[in-house]
Amino acid sequence: MPAAAALDARILAAIGAYALDDGAFLDLARALFAHQVEANAPYAAFARTQGFDANRLPGGIERIPAVPAAAFKEARLAAFPPERTATWFETSGTTTHGLSGRHEFDTTRLYEAALLASFDRMLIADGARLRYLNLVPDPRERPHSSLGFMMDVVARRRGDGAGGWYLHADVLDADAFAGAVRRARDDGAAVCVATTAFALVALLDALAERSADLALPAGSRVMETGGFKGRARVVDRAALYRETSARLAVPIGAIVAEYGMTELSSQYYDDPSGRDTIERRVKVAPPWLRPIVVDGDGRPVPHGVVGAIRHIDLANRGSVIAVETEDLGALVPAGLVLLGREQGAELRGCSLDAETLLARRG
Amino acid sequence: MADALRALPARRIVAHVADAARRWNDADFPPRVRVTAEIERRLGYSTPVVEYALDRLFFALRAVELEAAIGAELGSVEALDGVVERRGLPAAWARGVERVAIVSSDSTIGVAVVPAVFALCAKCDVVVKDRSDALVAAFFSSLADEHAAFAAAASARPWTGGDDPDEDALFAGADVLVAFGGDDALRAIRTRCGIETRFVPFGHRASIGRLARADLAALDDALADRIVRDALLYDGEGCLSLHALFVDAAGSDLARVATSLAAACERVALEFPAGARDALPTARTAAYRNLAVFRAAGGSGAVLRGADATLVIDPPAEDALPFLPRVLPVYGGDDDAIVRYVERQRLPVQALGVVAADADAVTLAARIGAVRVAPFGSMQSPPASGHHGGAARITDFVRWIDTA
Repeated sequence: MPAAAALDARILAAIGAYALDDGAFLDLARALFAHQVEANAPYAAFARTQGFDANRLPGGIERIPAVPAAAFKEARLAAFPPERTATWFETSGTTTHGLSGRHEFDTTRLYEAALLASFDRMLIADGARLRYLNLVPDPRERPHSSLGFMMDVVARRRGDGAGGWYLHADVLDADAFAGAVRRARDDGAAVCVATTAFALVALLDALAERSADLALPAGSRVMETGGFKGRARVVDRAALYRETSARLAVPIGAIVAEYGMTELSSQYYDDPSGRDTIERRVKVAPPWLRPIVVDGDGRPVPHGVVGAIRHIDLANRGSVIAVETEDLGALVPAGLVLLGREQGAELRGCSLDAETLLARRG
Repeated sequence: MADALRALPARRIVAHVADAARRWNDADFPPRVRVTAEIERRLGYSTPVVEYALDRLFFALRAVELEAAIGAELGSVEALDGVVERRGLPAAWARGVERVAIVSSDSTIGVAVVPAVFALCAKCDVVVKDRSDALVAAFFSSLADEHAAFAAAASARPWTGGDDPDEDALFAGADVLVAFGGDDALRAIRTRCGIETRFVPFGHRASIGRLARADLAALDDALADRIVRDALLYDGEGCLSLHALFVDAAGSDLARVATSLAAACERVALEFPAGARDALPTARTAAYRNLAVFRAAGGSGAVLRGADATLVIDPPAEDALPFLPRVLPVYGGDDDAIVRYVERQRLPVQALGVVAADADAVTLAARIGAVRVAPFGSMQSPPASGHHGGAARITDFVRWIDTA
């Protein structure tokens, strides 16, 4: 069996079992790392700078070389030849010089299995067959949006077949969305509104303009993802959730944040046991995804200490197992407290800063 | 009100300012000790960095320098006291305006002090709104100790981000409003000015350095230390900090320069240790450095570390400057490359650091819009009598009354 296929079988088994203990995780991580440094030349070169290669494997997952997320814009980080690329997702927003990167896949089997296994447990643990009203990129318009792909898979495999897409070229079609909600109410169909944070703000703004509420059918839920980076309006998440709860008539506990990124194949969700409050929700990872919080020199920090989040994602078989981000977070016993990138550290001094320079450059 | 100050001759005001500054030159002066601790607590800079900043600030406020700056701009110090004869020009009085407001919306050490001093020399009422008012207020207190007239003329109030309702009246009624801050802050402050208010903005800028081919032979430890000091002081967060260095070299020559600078980082970090950092800039710095390591592993550029500083050699020229604490991008390139870079980045340049401020350097400064050419090692020590941000020091605070 080729190495990739054998690895996929092991990873799929872990996904299917939704369980992986520390020892098994490390074993699989080392095997995956060994495969990737054999097949992914840019990652291999990067790993060598940290003293690792196929013959010198990291002893612990915290030592696995983690590429910065922006590296996906610098090189083709794929562990298979270009002719075997089946699809790719386009990255956005993580570097400053405007190039878009790709996360390539030779197969979406792992990706689909991983996303469904988590979604089943985190959003529809009750087995509900929902109607998916998506305020995320429509995959027919944006075939390389990972979020659009994810919700397309969910809607096709778990939906009632009557959902739709209401975000076009980043613009919300509020009238069409309201019509879909009314039809769902008429049909007695609970819905899942899958939405980016900024699309949710746009929806609430549209409702506020019309002085209207839009009660979702009973049993409905909202899956919110993404931050506000680069958006004109930043809204406090607690306020956003309270207004969402009020205007859409969904309990706070039915509003669930998903945290993922194009460079990963797996997602985090709000811990189901702590969704009755908004502040300081804890994100939980599926068993094949581990977060590590590191300091400025890449060293893991103790629980409770804020640092940059590094992800070890075993479902990233076709690219790189470890990705480091600028997202801030802290580990706690229950999981990961995500602080994101919007935590505004006060700028010191009178120097220009990169974001202002980019804004001036337009 | 500044009535009592207006009764004083300008030279006497200057002398009082210089006397107060002299007391602040003493690191053991109790108000300075308290302010130093407050600045460290607020901004997180290490003690040597704060001490350096205060030394630079107050050593520069000498009578001879203040009088020279005033004389150069107004013709004489006495022009502030009444009508003076001026050769070839109408006799005139450089009368200070009534009300000057100075807003420092940044957390920069003492940036409001110098304009406040010149406004007081012009006998204006001065109100400073400062993010960290401890320094300005404490210095004003020292001025009041020198002469009671300062107590009535100078006051410091905290700047809390523009939400103080009293500011509307203050800004609308100011004859001159000096503002330091970022784009958004300056835009917001400008809209609150009165129709006749003279608005003097000092926006955020960047500074770059140039090591010409002819300078390479002179690169020794001392020069490397001076370059690195300009980069590391204030963790690179000042508009006069060295944000990018251009070296007219490539290959092994550029590598030799980089190695020398990395060694200098080790030495300078001992003299000026890094300050405390928030998690976000720490994460951004790590991400920038890791990306540079990734590129270097692929054969593009190099990364060197010296103590807590990072030198990134030959990053892509299209990348925006990182503006990260203690991170210095080093580019290989000549003067034309600098000009292309500044144009591409649309970089507002404050200072150009050089080995020697010769004619070529001044020409380059003019090409890139820099307002100061500074020898390495002095980029962060501008003379109080110089033109900060390319602007005059006292001219904005007076209204000429001609007698012709």
